[in-house]
Amino acid sequence: MDAVVHPWVLFSCLALGALGVSMALPRPRISPQVVGAVIGAIALGGLFVSMGIKAGDDRPEFYFYLFSAIALGSALRVISHPRPVYAALYFILTILASSALYLVLEAEFMAFALIIIYAGAILITYLFVIMLAEQAPTGEEVGALSEYDRYSREPALATGVGFVLLALLTVMLTRGLGDDTIVPQPSRTHGAALLAELPKKVLGSLDRIGAMDGIETPELAAVGSLLSADGGSIRLTVTDAMKFAKSLERSDVAELVGGRESAQALASAVTTGQTVRLALPASLHEENIDGIGFALIAAHPMALELAGVILLMAMLGAVVLARKQIEIAEEAKAQAAIGGGG
Amino acid sequence: MSNVVIAHLLAQISPPQPMGHLTLAHFLVVSAVLFVLGLIGFLSRRNLIIMFLCTELMFQAAGLALIAFSRFHLNHTGEVFVIFVLTIAAAEAALALALVVLLYRRKQTLDAQAWAELNG
Repeated sequence: MDAVVHPWVLFSCLALGALGVSMALPRPRISPQVVGAVIGAIALGGLFVSMGIKAGDDRPEFYFYLFSAIALGSALRVISHPRPVYAALYFILTILASSALYLVLEAEFMAFALIIIYAGAILITYLFVIMLAEQAPTGEEVGALSEYDRYSREPALATGVGFVLLALLTVMLTRGLGDDTIVPQPSRTHGAALLAELPKKVLGSLDRIGAMDGIETPELAAVGSLLSADGGSIRLTVTDAMKFAKSLERSDVAELVGGRESAQALASAVTTGQTVRLALPASLHEENIDGIGFALIAAHPMALELAGVILLMAMLGAVVLARKQIEIAEEAKAQAAIGGGG
Repeated sequence: MSNVVIAHLLAQISPPQPMGHLTLAHFLVVSAVLFVLGLIGFLSRRNLIIMFLCTELMFQAAGLALIAFSRFHLNHTGEVFVIFVLTIAAAEAALALALVVLLYRRKQTLDAQAWAELNG
C-alpha cells in the first residue's frame, strides 16, 4: 500500500518537531521559546509539504492547511505559555481553528456546537477557576509568575515520550490508509422513509417556490403515504384549478411536472379535485442537522438519556466537592432552625 | 538485526507520491499531533489547571478524528459520538475543576509537585 509520507521524511519532521516543542516549553534561566516555536513551525511545514500541499483550485485543502497550522500552533502555545490565563485563551483559539476544520469536513452543526459548548461554556469555567486560584500579586511584584508556572517538569523527557507515540501513530496511519481520498459528498436526496419524518420540510420546499398555489395542504401525518416509493415525487390534490394552472407558468414549478410542454398540457387539462404528481424540488436535500438529529434521537436515544444523567451527576458532584465545609455547632443549628421557622 | 527490520519496513513503503486531495490521513495526522501536544503538556506542566486544560486538548484531538471518520464514511455516527465526547468533557471539566479548587484550599498552591508525598 502506498504511503502518504516517506518514513524518513516523516521521522526527521517529527524529530525536528520534538526539538522545537521541547525548546518551547517553559524552563529555568534562558528559555528559547521563540526559537522552539519557529523550529516547531518549520517541522509542521515540512510535514505538510511532504504530505503534498497544493495551492490552486482545491479550496478545502488551503483551509485545511491554514486552520490545522493555527490549531497546532495555538495548542503548542497552550502547553508552553507560562501564564495560565493566556494558555486558556490560546486554547479557545485552538477550539475556533478546529471548528473551522469541522467545517472543512462539512460537519456544520458540530462546528458551531463546539464553539458554543467549549469556547462558550467549558473554557469560561476554566478561566473563572484560574482567576479564583491565582495568588493575588503583592505590591512590588505585580505580574510575577508562580514558580510552578515558570518551569516545566522534565520537558525533554515528556517531549520524547510524546513524539515516540506520535511517530508510532503516524507511521501506522500513513502505512495503513494509503491514499484514501475523502470523496466529495454526493448530492444526497432523501429516501421516502426519511422524508416521511420531515413533512414540514417537504411542504415548505414546495411552498417556497410557489408550487402550493391552488393545492390542498395535506395532513402532516399523511405526507408519508403520499410520497412515491423512491421519495422523488409526491401526490397532491388540486383545490383551485385556475390558481394551479397559473402557478404552472413559472419555470421552477413547471420543472416539477416534467418541463415546459408537459406543464402547458397539464395547465389546460387540470380540473379541481384532480390528483397531480409533483416531483420534489432540487433544493430539498438532506442537511447536516437532519442527519445528526436522526442519528442522535432515532439511533441513540438511550445514550442521550444517559448523557443527561451523567451531566446531572457531575453537576451535583461539583457542588458537593467545591462547597466550603463550615462547622456549625448543634446549638447554632437549632438557633438557625428556630429563627428560620419563627 | 535492526537494519534488516528497517529495510523490511522500507520495502513495504513506497516513495512519497504527490497528492491533490485531502485524505483521511491528513486529518488523522493533525489529530494525532494535537493529541500528543496535549499529552506532552499533561506530562510536563506543573500547574494543575493547565494539566486539565491539556486533557481537553486530547479530547479535541479525539473529536477531530471522529468527525474525520464520520465524513470519510459518509454517515453521522461519528458526529453523534462527538456530542457524547463533549458531554463527558463538560462533566469532566466540572468535576476536575471542583477537585482543583478543593486541592488549592488544602495547600494554597496549584503546583502538582506539592502533592509529591502521594508517591509514598
